[in-house]
Amino acid sequence: MESASTYFSGFNINDLLYLGEAALRTLWISFWAISIGSFIGIFLGLALSISRVIAYTLGAVLDVFRSVPLIIQLVLFFNFAPIIGLRLNPFEAGLIVLIVYTSAYVANVARGGIEAVGDPMRRAARSLGMTYWQDLRYVVWPIGLRAVFPAWVGVALGVLKDSALVSILGYIELLKASQILMTRTQEAILILSIAGAFYFALSYPISYYATRLEQRWSE
Amino acid sequence: MDYNFHWRPVFKSLPDLLESALLTLEVAILSMILGILFGLALSLIRIKMTGPLKWFAVSWIELARNTPALLQLFFFGFGLGAFGIHFSPFLIVLLGLTFNNSGYLAENFRGGFNSIPETQIRASLSLGMNSFQTYTRIIIPQVLRVVYHPMTNQMVWAVLMSSLGMLVGFRELSGETQFFASKTYRIFEYFAATAIIYYVIVKIILGLSRLMASRLFKY
Amino acid sequence: MKMFSKTLVSLFAAVVMLTGSSTAFADKLDDVIDAGVLRCGVVLDFPPIGYRDANNEPAGFDVEYCKDLAAALEVDYEIIAVTWAERLPLIVTNRGDVVFGGTSDTLSRAKTVGFTIPYAIYYAQAVVGADSGIVTVEDMYDKKVAAAVGTVPEQEWLKIAEELGIEGNYQGYQSENEVFLAVAQGKAHAGITTNTTVLPITQQFDTVIAGPRMPWGTDYTSVVGPRMDVTWLNYLNLFVTQQVRSGRYQELWGKFVGGEAPELRIPGVYY
Repeated sequence: MESASTYFSGFNINDLLYLGEAALRTLWISFWAISIGSFIGIFLGLALSISRVIAYTLGAVLDVFRSVPLIIQLVLFFNFAPIIGLRLNPFEAGLIVLIVYTSAYVANVARGGIEAVGDPMRRAARSLGMTYWQDLRYVVWPIGLRAVFPAWVGVALGVLKDSALVSILGYIELLKASQILMTRTQEAILILSIAGAFYFALSYPISYYATRLEQRWSE
Repeated sequence: MDYNFHWRPVFKSLPDLLESALLTLEVAILSMILGILFGLALSLIRIKMTGPLKWFAVSWIELARNTPALLQLFFFGFGLGAFGIHFSPFLIVLLGLTFNNSGYLAENFRGGFNSIPETQIRASLSLGMNSFQTYTRIIIPQVLRVVYHPMTNQMVWAVLMSSLGMLVGFRELSGETQFFASKTYRIFEYFAATAIIYYVIVKIILGLSRLMASRLFKY
Repeated sequence: MKMFSKTLVSLFAAVVMLTGSSTAFADKLDDVIDAGVLRCGVVLDFPPIGYRDANNEPAGFDVEYCKDLAAALEVDYEIIAVTWAERLPLIVTNRGDVVFGGTSDTLSRAKTVGFTIPYAIYYAQAVVGADSGIVTVEDMYDKKVAAAVGTVPEQEWLKIAEELGIEGNYQGYQSENEVFLAVAQGKAHAGITTNTTVLPITQQFDTVIAGPRMPWGTDYTSVVGPRMDVTWLNYLNLFVTQQVRSGRYQELWGKFVGGEAPELRIPGVYY
C-alpha cells in the first residue's frame, strides 16, 4: 500500500509553475472574451443607437445577460449546449458565455459613447460631406471613445476577474488551479495569497494605466 | 435531441426557491448598508489622510477592485479558517460582499467628493456653518446625487455576486437551486427557473431605485 | 485557431444533425468507437479512488478503470474531473460517456441514468476533529456536520437531521476535500466520507481522526451510463465482471486501497 503522502503533498516549486500556467490561461480566455465581446458589443451598441424599436427589443435581450448572475449563465449554457447536440469543452463553453456577457455590457457602453457625441455634431459631420461610415470613424469613434474609455476598461477588468467563474465548468484557469492545489496541499492561505497576487498583477497595471491615460486626456 | 425536460420538480420546490431568494436579498441589502458605511470611511480616509491609515484604505480598495469576488469569498472561508477563524456560510458571504462593495463604493464616493468644488466648503463655512453642518447639509446631499446611480448598480452587483454563495455552502437562491438540482439531476430546469427569479429581483431593485430617485431628487 | 475550427465543425455538425436525417441507428458503443475517445467522468477528490498526484495529474482506482475500459475498446481516454453533484448531469447532457465515481445505485437515481452491476463497495464513515469528542453517531447530533453536496451521505444525513430538527448544523461543500479541510480547520466537527478515504485523511491531518460508521447501509456503487443505452450498459456490465475475473479488480484495489478487495456479490440476491 502506498503511503498517504501520495494523495496529499506539500506545496512545491512545480506548483508555482502550475499556478503561473493557469494565470496565463486566465489571461488567454479573458483576452479572447474581451476582444471578441467588445467587437460584437460595439456593433450592438451601434444598433441600439439607431432606432427606438431596436433599442427596446435588442436592449431587452441584452439586459437579461446583465441581470442574471454569470455563474447561472455558465451552468445553464454548459448544460444546455449538449442538449442541442453541441459538444463543447469547458474552455469553449466558458468562452462563448463570456463573449456574450462581455458584448452585453460593451453594447451599453458603446451606446453611451455614441450618444455622448450628440446629434448636432454628427449632422455637422454629414453636412461637411462625410459618409455615414466616415462620420462614425472620424467623428463618433474618437470623441465617443474618450467619453466611455474608463467605462470600457471597467468592463474589461470585470471580465478578467469574472473569468474566475469559468472554473466551475472545470476549465483549469487560475482559480480552479488554486482550488486543486488547495485541496491537495491543504495550504489555503498561501495558495489564495499567490492566486490573489497573480490576479492583482494582471488587473492593477491595466487599471492604473487607464487612469493615467484618462487624466492625460482630460488635461 | 434526446433530452426530456422535466419541470414538475421545479414547480414543486418553487416555494423553497422563493424563500431562499429572501436570503439572497437579505445578504445583499446588509452588505450594501455595511458597504456604504465602510466605503464612505475609506474614501474620506483616502482623500483626507496620510500615513498607515491611508495605506490601509488604499490596499483595501485596490484589493477589492483587482481580485475576483470569488477569491475574496474563499479568503473569508478557508483562508481565515487556516487561522482558526470560522464564520458561518452566511457570514462568509456577507463579509466577502461587504469587503467588495466597500472597495467599489469608496471609489464612487471619492469621485463624488472630488466633483464638488472646494469653494462650496469655504462658502458654507463663511455662512457660519460648522464643518459637520457643511458636510451633512451641503456636501453629502450633492455627493449622493452623483453616486446614486453607481450605488444602484452596486446593489444589483451585490445580488448577482451573492450567487457565489453556492460555492461556499450558503443556501441562498443559487445554493438552494444547486441543492435541489443535485437531488433531482434536473440542472438545466432548476437553473433556468432561478435565472428568471434573479431577473425579476434585479428589475424590482431598478424600479424601486428609479422611484426613490424621483422622490429624492425633486429639485 | 484550432478551437475555432473545432467550434465551427461542431456547430456545423449540430446543424446537420438537426436538419438532416441520421441514417444509421448507432448506439453509444458505436459512438465511442467512432469518436475514438472514451470520456470518463471521475471524481478526483476521493482519495485513493480518485485524486490528483503530485504532478496534479488524475490518478487512483477509478482513473485506472477508465484507462482499462478505453484499452478494451481500443480508444483513447479523456478524464473529465467532476464534482459529486455533476456526476449524473454529465451523463444526462451527454458531456461524458461513462462515470466511474463511486455512484451508489439508488432507485431514485436510476430514474435518471443507467447503472451497471456494482463495481466497488464502500460504507459511509465519519472523520472527526481530534478534540471534538465524537465517538458515536449520537455524539454528532449537536455538532457541526459536513458532507459534499449531491452525495448519498448528504441525503441520508439530512434525513436523520430533519427528523431530529438539527439540519441547521449541516454544512454542504462543493468537494469532499473541502469537507476534510473544514474538519481539519475546525469549521466542522465531523465530515461524512467513505471508509476507504478515512485512512489517507487521518494520516494527512494530525487534527483529524477516524469517526463512527454511519447508520445506513453498505454503499453498492455502480458504473453510470445513459439510461436508454442498454447495449452500452451491457458492455459495461461485462467489463465489470471481466475486471474481477482477470484479477485486475483485486490488483488495483490492493494497490490503491490495500488489502483484500470486497466481495461484489450481494448475499441472497440474484443478478
